[in-house]
This record gives sequence, C-alpha cells and structure tokens, in this order.
Amino acid sequence: MSIAANPAGGIVSREIFSSETLFAKELERVFAPSWAFVGHTSQLANDGDYVLSRVGQESVIVVREKGGAINVLLNSCRHRGMPVCRYDDGNASVFTCSYHGWSYDLGGGLTGVPKFNEGYRGGLDRAQWGLIKARTEIFYGSIWASFDPSAPSLEDYLGDMTLYLRDLLQGPDGEDDGYEVIGGIVKWKMPSNWKFGAENFSGDHSHYPTHLSVNRLNISLSGKAERHPFAAVKAPFKFLNIAHPGGHTVRANLYEALTPYESMWAAVPEVDAYYKEAHEARQKRLGDKARLYSRGGIVFPNMHYNTGGRTTIGIWIPVSAHETEVWRWLFVPRNAPQIVKDTLRHFYMRYAGPGGMTEQDDMENWSAAQRGTTGTWSRRHPFNYQLSPDDAHRAWPEPWLGKDVMVVAGVSEHNQRSFYTRWNELMSA
Amino acid sequence: MSVDTQAAGLAQLLLQREVEAFYTNEVELLDDRRFTEWLDLFADDARYWMPIARNVAFDRPEHEYTRERADANWFDEGKDDLTKRVQQIVGGDHWAEEPRSRTIHAVTNVNIVKAGEGELTVHSRIIVSQHRQDDDINHFVGKRIDLLRRGATLQVAHRTIYLNQSVLLAKGLTTFF
Repeated sequence: MSIAANPAGGIVSREIFSSETLFAKELERVFAPSWAFVGHTSQLANDGDYVLSRVGQESVIVVREKGGAINVLLNSCRHRGMPVCRYDDGNASVFTCSYHGWSYDLGGGLTGVPKFNEGYRGGLDRAQWGLIKARTEIFYGSIWASFDPSAPSLEDYLGDMTLYLRDLLQGPDGEDDGYEVIGGIVKWKMPSNWKFGAENFSGDHSHYPTHLSVNRLNISLSGKAERHPFAAVKAPFKFLNIAHPGGHTVRANLYEALTPYESMWAAVPEVDAYYKEAHEARQKRLGDKARLYSRGGIVFPNMHYNTGGRTTIGIWIPVSAHETEVWRWLFVPRNAPQIVKDTLRHFYMRYAGPGGMTEQDDMENWSAAQRGTTGTWSRRHPFNYQLSPDDAHRAWPEPWLGKDVMVVAGVSEHNQRSFYTRWNELMSA
Repeated sequence: MSVDTQAAGLAQLLLQREVEAFYTNEVELLDDRRFTEWLDLFADDARYWMPIARNVAFDRPEHEYTRERADANWFDEGKDDLTKRVQQIVGGDHWAEEPRSRTIHAVTNVNIVKAGEGELTVHSRIIVSQHRQDDDINHFVGKRIDLLRRGATLQVAHRTIYLNQSVLLAKGLTTFF
C-alpha cells in the first residue's frame, strides 16, 4: 500500500502531514533506521566536554571521553528513565542521575549503583545496564549517530551524498573540515510538520513570492540585488536538482567553466578579498570539481543545510504531526580572519531562524500550509508536486556528481518527489 | 529634610519621570505601528542585542546567555538592520507580518541604576503580547537593560533584552522589544 499517494508522479497525500497515527509510524520507520546529525567536533574541544543533542525526538549526550573518542549516549537513566545530564553543555567526568544516583562514565558504562552490594546481592550485572550507546561516526568534523544496529555504515547510508557533505564541510578555500561552530545553538518551535521544512530545503526553487520582501531590500552583502550573495555572480551555470535514492537531495549551481572570482561580498571589502583568495585556492585544490557551487540540501530524513555564504546545519525534531522543534548550528571558516567570521555570523542572524528576515516568511508559509492538511474536505485532496515532470538523468551532466544520483536542471519539484518517494518506500514497506 | 536633599530627591523624581515617559512614548509608537518614528528613538550608532538563553549548571551563570558580538544571538545588530526590518514590515509583502500583528508592550519596574552626565543605565522588565490572524499568539517576558544617551532628548544607545525562553516558543521574532 502506498501511504503517500503517488509521490513519484507528484501526488502526495495531505494526511502525511497531519495524521498522528502516521506520525507515530514515521518515528519507527523513517527516523529509527536512519543516521542523525548530532553536532560538530569543534563543539568538544577538551576531554570531558559534552553537549546535548537529539536523535529523532530523544535527548542524547554527545561527549568527548579521555583520549578524544566521541560517544553519543541516550540521555536516559537505565533505572527510571531520568535524564542523567541536565545541562545544555558543559564538562564532566561522570553523569549521575539525580533521582536514585546511578552513575555512568563518559563511555556510558554503569559505574556507580547505590546499595550495589547489599541491595542487589551481586545480582546486578553492570555491564548490561549502561546507558544506551549509539553507533557514532565522524565525517569531516560532523558527528553522526544511529541507534539501529542493522543500519548500514554512515558512508553506505550517505552513498553519493558523501561528495556533497564533504563539500559542505570544506572551507571556502576547499580545505577539508574547514569550519567551526560558533557558540549558541539556535533552537525554536514551529507549528508545522517537519516535512514542510525538509521538502523546502530539499530543493524548493519556486517559492519566490515567499521572499519578495528580502529580495526587495537586498539583504545580501553583495551590494547588488537579492538576498543571496551568489546571486551577484554572472558566470553561466546550470541549476541542478540532485536526488539520491536514499532520499538525500542537493540544490547546486554547476558553472560551465572555472571562472575568475566575481564579487559577492562588496559591502565588506575585507570579506570580499577573503572570498576571492579562497575561490582561487579552492579551484587549485579541487580542479574541475570546483565548478560545483552547492546552495543547500538535506541528508535524509531530517538533517538540512545551507551553503552559499550562510553555512548552517539544522535538524527538524519531530514533536508531533503538527509541531516541530528546529535546531541550527552556525558555521564559520575556522581559518578566516575575524572580520569574515563576524560578518558571516551577522549575516546568518539577519537571514535565518525566527529572527531572520528570510526564514520568518518560510515558517509563516509552512505553518499556514499545515492548516491546509487538517480539514475534513481539504485533506481528501492531495498536494501537487508536478512542477517540471521528471526528465531526470543519472550521473549527469558530470559522472563525478555521483553514480546513483538522478539530476534535473532548472526549476523543478524533482527533489521533493524524490524525498517523498524514499519516505513512502520506508512507510509502505 | 535639608533643601539640598529635597532638591536631589526632586531631580531624581524628574529623571525617573523623564525615563518612564520615554518608555511610554516608545510603547505607543510600537503598538500603533509607527515604526519609522520608533527608529528615531535610537542613536545612529545604537546596538540592539537579544542573546539566546541556555540551561547551565549553577556554577556557570556567566554561560547562561550567549555573548554579544561573538556567539549566535536572536539579535545582535545596529540601527541599519533595525531600519531594514522596519522597511520589511511596512512593504506589505513580509508575510510573517501581513496581516500585521496586534501587539501590547508593557515596560515595568523601571530602575535607573546609574545616572551619568551623558548616559543613563536603566533596568526594566518587559511583557510583550502579540496576536496575529485569529490564533497565532506569542507571549514574551524578559529583562531589559538600556543605555540611554542624554541629549536634547533621550535616545537608546544600547539595548539588551534577556528573554526567559531558551528554545524559542515562537516561529518568528517579528515584533520589537
């Protein structure tokens, strides 16, 4: 049975945004078997440093243990389920539950149990009662976790997406693991289903009316039109919607040739100078592949990112069918001069999140669309995702874009169709 | 009571009255959506800062709010940014404020903690109620610290807003604080 109607044909049921029954199933079928982005190594500079994050709905502790290994532990005491860590971040050598005092080391091992000898009479096997520990992988500085023992390795899970995730984490000069997180994770709630955010980031290139106001005000720092710094670049390119069978999608410019830097940050000359130098360094480092200029995308199901001068990674945390919590990590190139870091930080804050002049209007639209999923009559009629019906090419126009990717050039709802097709596969199995 | 003490007390009272009148007028401008006039209350070099709150251990109070000009914040900007935000709202194409919110701002507990020659440091509390459409409702409460510059009129030179929320329970910060 197909839960989502006919996503490959661009027909998606409204029920998938509003049914709490489907939402509960989604947590098991879509979220549980996946890999989750939980943070970045730059957040954990010292042994014992930890941050709280989320896998699906659940709180996890991301902690660096002695020697530098990073663990992701379910923040839930094995005795009564209490969070063993009560703070958003900090440094610890042990996590002790404030209820009955079970305590755990930074690898999740149960080390302390009150009345261990006299109370349990030697019958409690501590090795069986450690914190639930996720499989953890580090990918160019990004930290990923999965609690599913049968999930493939992260690299297999990502497939061709490894190219794009690596690209995201490369500094503007093309250096691997070139970013660091700035302090403060931006967190907020919005009254809409998480998939409205996911499909938008997956590759909605046609929501122009949403952002009329910021385009009118030219909030980009290019000194030219629009909200995106890269909108100032005139070199010819193909706009690509790149979809992976695993549900990951990318929106990117593929320039026709390696061209000299065109000013994108004219409002701050020092930043423009940095990006010019970085542009040239990146071309040297990556060669022909430097023609790829990624704008954003998603790692299925709920990690989303933007690039193109506003490098941010976020997660949609599914609260209910009708509510989503959003977390955003803001990144700056770690080796850039301070003025570049300051300028980017300021640009994000004005662009993204609830204080962001651009995303305020996205979230207004998603929450209004959410209301259109609940009506007795309206919910019987599906949504339409048929913009530019598929003329998708595999591994095109360059084979190095990935052997399994299906690509459409131009404005299309191809990526959304692919996202819902993957979602539908998992839900309908 | 000596004449001097009385005069000092009276001066303090007049200053308190002047600051409260400044805030009362500011709230009138905001709640009447006279945003361009509201911008005039800010000095050209003014800063507007609303940090993000974190849940921290008792012995790290300094880490509870993100840092100005260093970390992610809800707002950390100048008058040119505030001006752009006003220009966005008044255009009729900023959907998060179209149709516009009905807001009530209340400023209370106005406490002049330092009165210098050129500048006042004023602590206050704010309560903001925002209603949009039929049931899009936000409530914000917070502490505010203003540096008010004394000239022909008072002007905000620096404003800090400490919201109580850590995870923001609103999808948009489309009103001013």
